[in-house]
Amino acid sequence: MTRPSSRPRRAGRTAVGLAILALVTAACAAPDSAAPQAEGRSFADIRAAADGQTVSLWMYGGDEQGNAYVDDILAPAAAEQGVTLRRVPVADTADAVNRILSERQAGVTDGDVDLVWINGENFATGRQAGAWLCGWTGMLPNMAGTDPDDPLLTTDFGTPVDGCEAPWHKAQFTLVYDSAAVPDPPTTLQGVLDWARANPGRFTYPAPPDFTGSAFLRQVLYGVSGGPEDVPLTYSQDAYDELTPRLFDTLADLAPFLWRGGDTYPQTGEQLNQLFADGEVDMTMTYGPATLPDLVADGTYPPTTRVLTLDEGTLGNASFLAIPSTSGDQEGAMVVADLALSADQQLAKARPEVWGQFTVLDLSRLDAGDRAAFEQLPAAVVPPYEELSRGADPELSAEWVPRLEEGWRQTVLAANP
Amino acid sequence: MAADGPRRQPVTGLPLAAPGRRTHTAGPLHTGRSRRSPRRRALLLILPAVVPTGAVVLAALTSALLSSLGLTPLVGQPRLTLDPWRAPTDHLWTAAGLSVAIATAATVLAALVGLATALAITGRRRSGRLLALLSSATIPVPHVVGAAAVGLLLADAGFLPRVLGVETGWPPLVGGRWWIAVVAEYAWKESAFIALVVSSALASRVASYRDTAIVLGARPWARLRYVTLPLAAPALVASAGISFVYVLGSYEVAWLLGRPSPEPLPVLAFRLFTSLELTARPEAAAVAVATAALALAAVAVAAAALRRMEGWR
Repeated sequence: MTRPSSRPRRAGRTAVGLAILALVTAACAAPDSAAPQAEGRSFADIRAAADGQTVSLWMYGGDEQGNAYVDDILAPAAAEQGVTLRRVPVADTADAVNRILSERQAGVTDGDVDLVWINGENFATGRQAGAWLCGWTGMLPNMAGTDPDDPLLTTDFGTPVDGCEAPWHKAQFTLVYDSAAVPDPPTTLQGVLDWARANPGRFTYPAPPDFTGSAFLRQVLYGVSGGPEDVPLTYSQDAYDELTPRLFDTLADLAPFLWRGGDTYPQTGEQLNQLFADGEVDMTMTYGPATLPDLVADGTYPPTTRVLTLDEGTLGNASFLAIPSTSGDQEGAMVVADLALSADQQLAKARPEVWGQFTVLDLSRLDAGDRAAFEQLPAAVVPPYEELSRGADPELSAEWVPRLEEGWRQTVLAANP
Repeated sequence: MAADGPRRQPVTGLPLAAPGRRTHTAGPLHTGRSRRSPRRRALLLILPAVVPTGAVVLAALTSALLSSLGLTPLVGQPRLTLDPWRAPTDHLWTAAGLSVAIATAATVLAALVGLATALAITGRRRSGRLLALLSSATIPVPHVVGAAAVGLLLADAGFLPRVLGVETGWPPLVGGRWWIAVVAEYAWKESAFIALVVSSALASRVASYRDTAIVLGARPWARLRYVTLPLAAPALVASAGISFVYVLGSYEVAWLLGRPSPEPLPVLAFRLFTSLELTARPEAAAVAVATAALALAAVAVAAAALRRMEGWR
């Protein structure tokens, strides 16, 4: 369901899914849900043990910039530290989680997955099943560059991180519009909904459980409920019953003014992006605004594409690198996670032409040279992270997400004429 | 069977397992252990294919069935329950109806087009060869590529509306209410498959029968009605059955070119399976088992129809 930041949900085939289902269910024993803790040791120790290990990093494989960054920049740097980094592309991060759960049920201790790019419900599901190694991020020297009180890094969609995953990058939910078609853009979410009403057929959103559509749903929930402070981050049935009728009513009322009269919705964020690129709608949305400059440069999006900042802020989250408890190369995985947090790697990754991912480092904790380098990153189409994330809204707990999605399917989607 | 084509005697003692070749071959001519009946030899020969397939399919189906009955939960205690079958009930019926409708529409179209193509292939020499080439070139195209191509062609801002200069009012073929793009993709791909199967079934047999019919003074319509169609029917029914079951269980085309609601069975199963609510997995298994049961029923119908056919024997 979720994959880190803006990655599209690429579903595999039912057959593959069922094969995994068979694997998962074949070993009947319910897994032990206690999270294994890493033993405390010095990083020099870890580095020595990591020498010569091969680390398989399982990550969503459909982002070419991300693939190129890992293959051409991160992997060579890891090789210098004696760790071979192997990138394993997956269609959906849930595939990696399924694999780990199966391995855990089978009692594997040298599993195929050593490191996963992850956040949100995938992380929460793995935590429920004790699939992650915990308490290891404190041993990484480069964690010193992050703010230990940064709420985005201490909880992941409401699930406490507890040293079970090391931060990798930050993402900000962003609305995007074509300034040629929307000369006077709205500045609040309510304004966006009003604009959609006034311009029938020119707005839509991906159908949840698509990742982007699901984020839009949460953003509208904040919008119609009076703001993030009025929505309890922890899920409860009472809060759901109290808050969601207004959300679903708003979206059901809006439906006739959407693309194709709300008769159907794009299935994925990519399909919405395609509609925007084809000029069928005037707005799109993404968790990865860093890709916008490239899309404008190669002509996919019109040159008048702009980011819409909302006065009340938008959802923000971070994505992480987690080490499965079944990994046999945990030291190597820690070395890679530490390397990925270094100022050099974070800076390289933040360059729009490389990957354009926002850093998780706290610039005030860096030395002057590194800080200056981060501050000089170009910001043509996309405003800098500070501006984008002003008043950033916290993510709801992972439990909210599937329930909101199911509620939307049963009310708004099923209400189709 | 003996009348078709030039008779070829078997060159070696290799068992001839091919159906319809149940003639005077294997056995006494050869030494030692080859006392087994050809039927048993044929059975032995297909065992290496049947055993792993059976094991995989049965193991997968059994574990899906167990899971759908709540016996193999991901977390928590196993407990026999029908809840996973009840939970998506209304979805399950809608999804089953939709899946059967899509599969029927696509299969009927594919069978008509495929049969016509096969007749054209076997009937005419030169254009037939070109047609055969075209339809066999269609077969290796993966469905997901076909779906992407059909999407690019038929979408609102696709190739076709642009070529035709339709700015507004293009009917919602992709993601629309009638699943037209989905049916079109399946019908296109499967018609090539049916054409290939039917034309190869006809190729070896139809010429001599047709010539005989001509000698006996049969007109074209009578030849088609009493010679060609009965010869083509078994291959047509078998390949249409395969197409139907394939369409019923396939995911990617319906997902790419369809709409989020209602969902066909495979799409529903996969969405439930990948839902991160761990309790949704038994529901996914229930949908998958229901799909498999429908597919088996379709196979049984096709097999029963085949058994009643003259040409099958």
